[in-house]
Amino acid sequence: MKEIPIAEPDSRGEPSSLHGDLSVIDQSIRTPVLIFFGSGIFWLVVASFFYLLSSSQIHTPTAWWTFPGIASLSFGRAYPAFLNCYVYGWATCAGFGTGIWLLSRLTGVPLRNPLALILAAAVWNIGMMTGVLSILGGATTGRELLEFPIETAFILFLALATLGFWAITTIWNRKPGATYVSQWYLLGAFLWFAWMYATANIALGVTPAPGAAQPAINWWYVGCLVDLWLTPIALAIAYYLIPKIVGRPIYSYRLALIGFWGLALFGGWTGLTHINGGPLPAWMFTASIMAKVLMLIPVLAIAVNFHRTMKGSFGGLRDNLVLRFIVTGAWVYTVYSFVGSILSARSIAQFTQFTFVSLDQIQLGLFGFYSLILFGAFYYIVPRLLNRQWLFDKLMETHFWLVVVGLGLLLVDFTIGGLIQGFGLEDPQVPMIAVNDLLEPFLAIQNFGALLLVVANLGFAMAFGLILLISGPVKVRPIATEQSNEASESTEAEVSVA
Amino acid sequence: VNKITGLFFGIFFLFGISWLGLVAYPYLTFAGLRQSKDDSTGALAPMGNPGTATQGARVYAANGCFYCHSQYIREKDEGNDIDRKWGTRRTVARDYMFDQQVFLGTSRLGADLSNVGARQKDPQWFYQLLYNPHSMSHEVSMPAYRWLFETREIQGQPSSDAVKLQGSIAPPAGYEVVPTGEGKALVEYLLSLKKDYPLPEAPEATE
Repeated sequence: MKEIPIAEPDSRGEPSSLHGDLSVIDQSIRTPVLIFFGSGIFWLVVASFFYLLSSSQIHTPTAWWTFPGIASLSFGRAYPAFLNCYVYGWATCAGFGTGIWLLSRLTGVPLRNPLALILAAAVWNIGMMTGVLSILGGATTGRELLEFPIETAFILFLALATLGFWAITTIWNRKPGATYVSQWYLLGAFLWFAWMYATANIALGVTPAPGAAQPAINWWYVGCLVDLWLTPIALAIAYYLIPKIVGRPIYSYRLALIGFWGLALFGGWTGLTHINGGPLPAWMFTASIMAKVLMLIPVLAIAVNFHRTMKGSFGGLRDNLVLRFIVTGAWVYTVYSFVGSILSARSIAQFTQFTFVSLDQIQLGLFGFYSLILFGAFYYIVPRLLNRQWLFDKLMETHFWLVVVGLGLLLVDFTIGGLIQGFGLEDPQVPMIAVNDLLEPFLAIQNFGALLLVVANLGFAMAFGLILLISGPVKVRPIATEQSNEASESTEAEVSVA
Repeated sequence: VNKITGLFFGIFFLFGISWLGLVAYPYLTFAGLRQSKDDSTGALAPMGNPGTATQGARVYAANGCFYCHSQYIREKDEGNDIDRKWGTRRTVARDYMFDQQVFLGTSRLGADLSNVGARQKDPQWFYQLLYNPHSMSHEVSMPAYRWLFETREIQGQPSSDAVKLQGSIAPPAGYEVVPTGEGKALVEYLLSLKKDYPLPEAPEATE
C-alpha cells in the first residue's frame, strides 16, 4: 500500500488544461445522461403518486380518494408499485446517469457513440413500464423488491449488462495514471448490481430455490441492493463533489481505503437482519448482525474523511445548495448506519421488528441519504450539461427544507408510533385491534410527512422541466467556489490499489 | 500487475463470500431437506399443500397480503409470538420445504398467519373478513377485497359459499355474493396455513 500523493488544488479560477477536455466529455455524454435523469424524474413523480396513495390507504382504507374496490390500485399493489418506481425508476436511473457522468469525467474518456447508452435507457424504461403494469395487474412474484416478473427482470438485465460492460471498458481505457476513490465505488456498484440482480432472479425465478432458501436469497439481495448498489453510487458522488466544491483534496487515502473495502466486505451480509428470527440457521442471522455492527467501521472512516475534508468550509453549506444537499446526505448516511446497527441487535429487534420503526431505516436510507445526495448531484450536473442556470433559486431552497422537514417528521413519527406498536405487539394481553387503534394519530402524521416529500419531489421535477425547456438568463451568482474549481480534477486524492 | 486488476479481484472476491454464504449455501442445503417421520405413528410431516392452495398463494402474492402479514414464528427469547398464540413452536426451514412461494413478511400491521388455518377453520369467516373487514373485527387498516367476489342472481338453491351479509352491504333480494375462483383459492390457501405437526428440531415451547 502506497501513501497518497495528495495534490494541491489547481490554481483556482484559472481554467487548466483539463478544462477543454471536460466540456468535450460533458458534450459527448449529454444525451444519455439527460435521458437517464429525465427517466429518473419521471419515475420519481409516478412513485410519489403511489407513495401518497399507499400511505393514505393505510390511514383511511375506506375513503373515496384511496380508490377502495379497485384491485389494481389497492394497497397491496400500490405499495410495491411505489417501492419499485422509487428504487428502480428514480434511484437507479438517477444512479445510472450520475455514474455515466462521473466515470466519463474521472477516466477522461469522451463517449464515442452514445447510442448503446441511449438504447440501454430505452430498454430500462420499457422494463420499468412492463414491471409496474405487471404489479398493478397482479402478476407479481411476491418477493420484496423483486416483484417484477422474470421476463421484465430479463429486459432490465439487458440494460444493466450494457451499462456494466460500458463501465468496465471505460475504466479499462482510462487515461493513464490516477484512479479515483469514486471510480472504485462506481466500478463496484455496476459489477455488484449486475451480479446480484442476475443471481436473485435466476435463483428465485428461473430455477426456484427450495422453500426457506427463497427468503434468504431475497433478503441477501435487498441488503446488497442498498449497500452495494445505491450506497456506492451516492458515496462516489460525495467523494467527487465535496472535494471539488470546497477546493481541497480528500483528507486521507487510508480512510478512503478502509471505507471502500469495509463496505465491499460487509455489504453483502446485512440484509438478513430484516427477517431476524426467521426459519434459517442461527449463524446466518448472527453473521448479518455482526456485519451491521462492523459496518460502522467503514461508515466512521467515511464520515471522518468527509468531515476533515470539509473542515473550514462549513460556511459553504449556507451559500452552496449543492454542497448542502450532499453533505446533509452524507450526515444522514452516518445516522442511518447507526440506526441500522442498533435495530439489528436481537434484544432491540424483539420490540422493533415488524413495526414502523423498521421503516425508519428505509426512510433514512432512501429518502435521506441516497436521494439528498442525488438531488445535489442533479443540481450540480444538469446546468453543466445544458450550459444553463436553474431558474428559481428559491425552489431549490424550498426543496431542501421540504425534504428535511418531511423526513424529520416521518422519523419522529415512525420511531414513537413504532415503539408503541412494538411494545403492544410484545404484550400478549393487548389485542391486535388495540395496537392498531393506538397507531391512528401516527398514521395521520405519516400521511402529512409523505405529502411534504411528495410536494418536494414535484417541485424538483418542475425545476428540471423548466431548465430543460427554458434557457434562462445567465446570472452571475455566488457559486463561484464551485465554478472556480471546475477544472481541478486533482482535488480528489489520487489512489492506487495495493 | 495492474491497479485495476487488484480492484476487480477484490470486488469479486469479497462479494463472492456473501454470495457463497447466503445464496449458494441455503440453496444447496435446503434442497436436501426431507420430511420428518414420527417414530411411533410413522406419520410424515410436513405434508405439502393441495393444488388449490398453491393457486391461492399466487392470489396472496398478487394482492400483496405479505406487506402487512408475516408468516413465521420466532423462538420465545426473540419475541412473544408464541404467547400471542400465533403458534405453538417456532417455525423452521422444514416447515416451508413444499412451499413454492415463501412469504415471511416484515410487517405485522396485521396478524401473523403462520397458523391461521389452525385458528380459523370456517371458510365463511375468511369470506366475511375479505369482503368487509370493518364489520367484523374493527380492523382499522385492512382494505376490503371485493374484487375477489361477485354478486349474482340466485339460481335455484343459494350457494353454500355465499357470504352472509347484513344491513346496507347485503345484496338485493334474490341475489347473493359469492367468492370468485381466486377468492376461493385464496381462502383455501389461508386454511392450509398450519404448522400443527411436531418436528424434532422445533420442540413445542414450554413455560
